[in-house]
Amino acid sequence: MPDKTIYQQLREDGLSRRDFVKFCGLLSGMIGLEFSAAGKALGAAAGRAPADVVAQALKTKPRLPVIWLELQDCAGCTEAISRSTSPSLSNLVLNRIAIDYQETLMAAAGAQAEEAKRATMAKYRGQYVLVVEGSPTVFQGGAFCTIGGRSNLEILKEAAEGAAAVIATGNCAAFGGLPRAHPNPTGAHAVMDIITDKPVINIPGCPAIPDVTTGVIVHFLVLGTLPKTDGLKRPLAFYGHTIHDHCLRRPFHEAGRFAADFGGRSAREGWCLYKLGCKGPTTYNACSSLKWERGLSFPVQSGHPCLGCSEPKFWDGGGFYQGQSAPLNRPGKVDVGLAVGAGAILGGALAVANRAGKKRGVAKSEAVPPKGKAE
Amino acid sequence: MGWPEILRFFRGPFLKAALLIFIGGMTYRLIRVLLLGWRRDRAKSAGSKVGGTLKAYLKSLLILPFIPWVKRTFPRNALTYIAGGLFHLSLFVVLIFGVPHMLVWKSLTKVGWPTLPTPVVDWAAAVGIAAMVMLFINRFVQPVLRLISGWPARLNWIFVFLPMVTGYMMTHHMFFRYEVLFSLHMIAVDVLLIWIPFSRISHFLFYFFAKTIHGAQAGKRGVTP
Repeated sequence: MPDKTIYQQLREDGLSRRDFVKFCGLLSGMIGLEFSAAGKALGAAAGRAPADVVAQALKTKPRLPVIWLELQDCAGCTEAISRSTSPSLSNLVLNRIAIDYQETLMAAAGAQAEEAKRATMAKYRGQYVLVVEGSPTVFQGGAFCTIGGRSNLEILKEAAEGAAAVIATGNCAAFGGLPRAHPNPTGAHAVMDIITDKPVINIPGCPAIPDVTTGVIVHFLVLGTLPKTDGLKRPLAFYGHTIHDHCLRRPFHEAGRFAADFGGRSAREGWCLYKLGCKGPTTYNACSSLKWERGLSFPVQSGHPCLGCSEPKFWDGGGFYQGQSAPLNRPGKVDVGLAVGAGAILGGALAVANRAGKKRGVAKSEAVPPKGKAE
Repeated sequence: MGWPEILRFFRGPFLKAALLIFIGGMTYRLIRVLLLGWRRDRAKSAGSKVGGTLKAYLKSLLILPFIPWVKRTFPRNALTYIAGGLFHLSLFVVLIFGVPHMLVWKSLTKVGWPTLPTPVVDWAAAVGIAAMVMLFINRFVQPVLRLISGWPARLNWIFVFLPMVTGYMMTHHMFFRYEVLFSLHMIAVDVLLIWIPFSRISHFLFYFFAKTIHGAQAGKRGVTP
């Protein structure tokens, strides 16, 4: 018997048709679906707008199997998604799309859980979406991260082989994150460095914004493709603008009003946090537009500078509380001493050589009598 | 290699190398000047060396530049006087009292200070850029200046102008993404740092040495520097 469509499941749960239409409109907005080329093509085929494209997909497509791997991670992205601020999206992903394997959330454990994963991979080969949280590690054959006695590399490659698409959620999976920070003792890598033969999309953040992760999964369900991305494979709909672009404190930045300390009056009154180390101008993410906790707030609004957690190597990008204009590598006293010493030695040596040359020149000119006198 | 990587390189290791070349290069120039030799000053002391030095600074930095008719250079070439003065003033305001630059000083020296409001610094930067453009045109229009301007002079202008214009564009988010402009600004600054010790822009430091020595010599002889 074929799997039920998502629409059938929702109707069985008592969702009215009117609510379903509203739900589809909401979803199309939340996944950033617009009249893109793909949307237009699908819309034209169905003769409908983006919301109708979503409705059509939910009515015709069965559940989308998702396998969620956790490698070198802190489970923060899982925590975030389980407390997603968008109940409709998280409900859809957690209950309707169904994550078949998720170590933190699933009831099963040990061999039972591994068996469930194997069964899903076999049944939905070439159809499931692989979500990876945490960074893969390559040193010593991946021995620094093992699950069930198998190395993370083996597990990742095996799961990616049968996947339709790979979603790297969180900075660790997308760019290596904290495990990859200097000196990177485990040889942590980005998922896209390891998996090169499958479509990979990155949803960096620490944690990734849950609505973006779920939004991308739903996008894949609806259109069958991953959304359009930027040069770092991040979905443009969510990573097209910087934190600074939509920041509530932006007017204070333009006016040159910068908070000087945490918790002070200026910080409370909404002054810009640039002096306190905000990385908003170079950080592409949707925090300042989507926000967290149902649009309640986001770090900069709450008084903490942006750390730039959706950018590669943000842990090594200078001090978190140091102004963004400050140099990343400051010359130490020894470096300065060596530079001064080298300059002094070179200058001294050249000066001595010049003097010696001058003396020789004078002696030579004195030794040779002027032409007129010689005759 | 994307722009974030480029920015990290030019804000990180390359900037460090440029700073060290700058420090080493300035030391080299200073040693070369010092080892040119000093003639023993046998003149009998008729005044104070310190007094002479102070007078030299007061006159040449704080008083004369603001009283144009005292200096004969003003009536001869008003544009060089005004645009040159405004350019130096603008550079001083932006580099010392602009927030991002103060944070650079703070990071290097651990000392911070109050800054000027962004619009003030912004206008100063705009005036500085306009002054630079006028000085550039002037250099080509004036026959004498054209005669004495070689490639080193033109390169000096280019290497000083690029950080100014990229910095201004960056502050105003003009034409390109912020990290692109930030990278271009840092590349321009790094090149300038490497260029300074081996060009006449080194007058930013040697001017003060010269002023001090001349002031002290004049002071010792009891004449006004």
